[in-house]
Amino acid sequence: MRRRNRRDARFARPGGPYRRRDLLGLLPFVAFVTLFLLLPASTLVLGAFQGDGGRFTLEHVAGLSQRFILEGYRNSIQVSVVTALIGGAFGFLLAYAVTLGELPTFVRGTVITFAGVASNFAGVPLAFAFISTLGRTGIVTGFVKDLGIDLYKQGFDLYTFAGLSLTYLYFQFPLMILIMAPALDGLKREWREASENLGATVTQYWRHVALPILLPSILGSMVLLFGNAFGAYATAFALTGGTLDLVTIMIGAQIRGNVLYDPGLGYALAVGMIVIMAFSIGLYSLLQRRSERWLR
Amino acid sequence: MSSSHSRRLSQVFGLLLVLGLLTSACAQATATPSAATQPPAPAEATEEPMSEMDALIAAAQAEGTVTTIALPDDWCNYREVIDGFKDKYGIEVNELDPSAGSGDEIEAVKANKDNPGPQAPDVIDVGFGFGPQIVNEGIVQPYKVSTWDTIPDDVKHPDGYWYGDYYGVLALQVNADVVETPPQDWADLLKPEYEGQVALAGDPRSSNQAIQSVFVTSLVNGGSLDNAAPGLEFWASLVAEGNFVPVIAETGTFARGETPIIIQWDYLALTDRDTLAGNPDVTVVVPPSAVWGGVYIQGISAYAPHPNAAKLWMEWLYSDEGQLLWLKGYCHPIRYTDLAERGVIPEDLAAALPPAELYAQAIFPTLDQLSAARELITTQWDTVVGVDVQSGD
Amino acid sequence: MKRRRLWPLFWLSLGAVYFFLPLVATTDFSLRAQRGTLSLLAYQRVLQDSQFVSSFLFSLRMALFTILFGVLLIVPTAYWVHLRLPHLRPLIELLTLLPFVVPVIVLVFGLIRIYSRPPLLMTTTPATTDLLLVGGYLVVALPYLYRSIDVGLRAVDIRSLTEAAQSLGAGWGTILMRVVFPNLRTAALTGALLTLAIVIGELTLAQYLARPAFGPYMNLLGKNRAYEPAALSIMSFALTWAAMGTIYWMTRGQQAQIGGGH
Repeated sequence: MRRRNRRDARFARPGGPYRRRDLLGLLPFVAFVTLFLLLPASTLVLGAFQGDGGRFTLEHVAGLSQRFILEGYRNSIQVSVVTALIGGAFGFLLAYAVTLGELPTFVRGTVITFAGVASNFAGVPLAFAFISTLGRTGIVTGFVKDLGIDLYKQGFDLYTFAGLSLTYLYFQFPLMILIMAPALDGLKREWREASENLGATVTQYWRHVALPILLPSILGSMVLLFGNAFGAYATAFALTGGTLDLVTIMIGAQIRGNVLYDPGLGYALAVGMIVIMAFSIGLYSLLQRRSERWLR
Repeated sequence: MSSSHSRRLSQVFGLLLVLGLLTSACAQATATPSAATQPPAPAEATEEPMSEMDALIAAAQAEGTVTTIALPDDWCNYREVIDGFKDKYGIEVNELDPSAGSGDEIEAVKANKDNPGPQAPDVIDVGFGFGPQIVNEGIVQPYKVSTWDTIPDDVKHPDGYWYGDYYGVLALQVNADVVETPPQDWADLLKPEYEGQVALAGDPRSSNQAIQSVFVTSLVNGGSLDNAAPGLEFWASLVAEGNFVPVIAETGTFARGETPIIIQWDYLALTDRDTLAGNPDVTVVVPPSAVWGGVYIQGISAYAPHPNAAKLWMEWLYSDEGQLLWLKGYCHPIRYTDLAERGVIPEDLAAALPPAELYAQAIFPTLDQLSAARELITTQWDTVVGVDVQSGD
Repeated sequence: MKRRRLWPLFWLSLGAVYFFLPLVATTDFSLRAQRGTLSLLAYQRVLQDSQFVSSFLFSLRMALFTILFGVLLIVPTAYWVHLRLPHLRPLIELLTLLPFVVPVIVLVFGLIRIYSRPPLLMTTTPATTDLLLVGGYLVVALPYLYRSIDVGLRAVDIRSLTEAAQSLGAGWGTILMRVVFPNLRTAALTGALLTLAIVIGELTLAQYLARPAFGPYMNLLGKNRAYEPAALSIMSFALTWAAMGTIYWMTRGQQAQIGGGH
C-alpha cells in the first residue's frame, strides 16, 4: 500500500516522466472523438481531394486561391479576431464585476444564467433582434432620429463588418463571462490581502499577481471565442448574406445552396479552416507556455 | 467534509438522472409513436385482376410511410397537398427539414444511401438547374406517372428521371404601409423614392430566387437570355443609387419595414399577403416588361426506402386533385394547360391568380442559359455589384 | 467600499443596456401581430400548437443526457491531460476546437453515413437514434465543455491536491470523486449551462436525424411568418433561462466554497 503511494507521488510532479500507459487514460476521449467527430468528418478531408469518379485531385485546393475566396478567409479571420479581443476584454470586465465586484449575491446568479442563454442566442433570431434595434427601421435608429440624428446618413450601417461584429459580441461576451467566472473565483483573497500588506496598489496587484495568474485562462478563452466566431454561420448569413464574404457562408453556398453545388470546393474550404484553426492553436500554445512561466 | 461533498455530488448526479428519466416519461405520454418501417411488399397478382394503380396503392400502404424533404407548409400549399395524401391513402408522411436547399436534399439522399430509417428522403423537389446533376450522379430513379403525356416535354427528362412540378413568375412583394406608391416595373426600382428599400429574398450565390432576380434585370438593361452581365450592372446601379438593402429578406424583416420591397416568386408573395392578412398591407406586382418564369422539378430517390409509397406520392401530385391543390397555393401546376383545356379549373381559383396574359408571355430560360448565367452571377456578384464592405470600418 | 463597487456597476449597466435593447426590440415586434394594437396574438398562436411542450421536454431530456455524458467524459480527460500529459495539450485542444470548423451539416451526414448500415445500424429505432443525437450534441458542445473544465482546473492547484490525496492513500477513483469533481463544481456548472443552451437551440442534427426536438419545431413554426418567430425567440429565451436558473439554484451551495472568492 505505502510502496504504491511513493511511486505514484513521484510521477505526480510537474514535468515528471510519464509512462506510455498514461496514454490509456485518454482512451475514452479519443474513442469518442474518433467515433463521433473524426470518422464522420472524414468526408471533409477525403472530399476535398476527390474529383469526379473518386480520383485524387488538387483542383479543389487550387480553387482556394481565387480572389473572392481569399477575401472570405480574410474577412472571417478579421471578424473572429476582433470579436475575440473585444469580447474577451469587455467580457472579462463583466466577469470581474460579477465575481469580485462585491455586488449583491443575486446579481451573480442572474448574470451567469442570462449569460448561459445569451451565449447561444444566435442565428436568425439574433440577426432579427439587431435589425429591430439598429436597422433602418430599428427602435434605436428611430429614437435617435427623433433626437435629430440620422444614423444611416452619418455613415452607420448595420449590414457591414462593424455591424456584424457588434452582433457577434452578443454571444461572445456571455461566453467570456461564463468561462472566466470560475477562474476569477480561483483568485484567493489571501493573495490580494498579502499584496496589500506588502504595499502594492490595486494596479500593481493586477499587473504582477492577478493577471499573470489568469493569463493562461484568458488566452484559452480568447481562442475559444475566436473559434466560436470563426465557425459561426447562421448569424452571418441572416445579417450579411450576399454582401460580406465569409468562409462559412461560402461553404454553405457550395454544399447547401440552391444554385452552386461543388461539394469538393466546399470541403476544401473547410479543410482550409482546419488549417487556420491548427495554426491559431499553435500560436496560442506558444503564448501559453510563455505565460505559464509565471506560475510555479 | 469530503464525504458530504461526495454525497452532495451523487445527489446532484442522481437528481439530473431522475430529471432526465422524468422528462422522458412525460415525453412518452405525449409523444406520437413513429411509424415502423417495413420492407416494401411486392405488388402481387391476386385472383381478381387488380389495376396497376390499385396494386401500387396496396404496395404503398404496406410500406406505410413516405419521407419528404424541403416542403414548407406555405410553399405552393404543400400543407394541404401533404394532408390530402395522408387522408386519401392513409399513408404517413414523414417530413424532413422544410428549410432544406436543393444542395441539402441531394446530400441527404447521398448520405442515406444504405439507411432504411426515417432520415432517408424518398422524394426530392429541387430547382430546374439541378436536373442534369441528379441524373449523372445517380440520385434519382425513373418513374413515369400515369398523366405523363400531359407534362410539357421541355420540363421533363425523356426517360422519366425528373419532371417539372410547378412554376411561377418573379414578382415584387411590396409593404404598402411603408411604400406609398409601389413600383410597377423593374426599371422603377431605380427611382430615388425607393431609397434603402429594395431587397433580395436570398443570397445571390446560393439562392435560386436571387440569381433569377438578377438574371431578369438583364433583359430590361440591354441584355438577353444569353447575356446576364447587364443584370449585374443593373444591381450595381441599384446599389449606387442607395436603393439596395443588403440584408436577406424574410417575412419578419418585410413586415417590419426593413425590407419593404422584395423580389420573390409570385406564389410566395401572394401566400405572404394572405398570411400577413393586412398586417401589414401587401401589394403584389408582376412587372410586365419581363415576366420571368421559374420551374422546380421532382424526382424519386434512387435509394428510397419506400419506393412504392414514393411512386404513389408522385401519382397524387400529378393527379388533377394534387395539381389543383398547388394552384390553390398560387403555383401554376405543370399540367396547367391540360387542366385549362379540359375545363377542370374552378373559376374562383383562376380568378385569384395574376392575369393569364402575363403568364402567356412568361420567359423560361433553358438549362444551358441558366447555368451560364449562374456561373457569371455567382462569380461576379462581389466584384461588379460589390456592396463595398470595408473591414475594420 | 462604495468606490470599489462603482466600476463593476458601471460595466454591468453598460452590459445590461447592450443585452436588453435587442430583446426589447424583439418583444415589441412580437406584440404587434394584431394591426394597430399591442396584443399577445403571436404568443397565443404559438402556444396553441400541442407540440411546443413535448418538443421542449424532448430537447431538455437530450440536454441532460449530453451534460451527464459530457461531464463524465471530459472531467477525467482534462484532469489527466493537466496532470500527466501537458505536452499533449495543444493536440487535445485542437481536437476539442475542431467542432467549430466542421460544419454541422457535414457532421450529421457523416454520422448518418457511418451509422446507418450494419453492424452499426443506429438510425432505425428512436432509442439508438437518440444516442446518435446525444453523441452529435456532445461533439458540438465539446469546445465549450472542455474549455470550462480546463479553466476550472487551472484555478485550483490540482497537482498538490492530487499529491496530498495520494500520500493519504487515495486511489484514482477516490481522487476523482472526492478531489477533482468537487473542486470543479463551478466550472462544470458553466459547462452544463453552455451545453443546455446549445442542445435546446440546436437545429441541424435533430432535423436530419429526424427527431422531434425543439429547434426543428421552432424553425417549422416560424417559417414564412412575421410575428411568431419573434414570439418564439422570446419564449425560448425565457424557458431556457428558467431551466438554467433551476440548475444553477440546485448547485448553488458550492459556489462560496471554491477558493474563497472575494
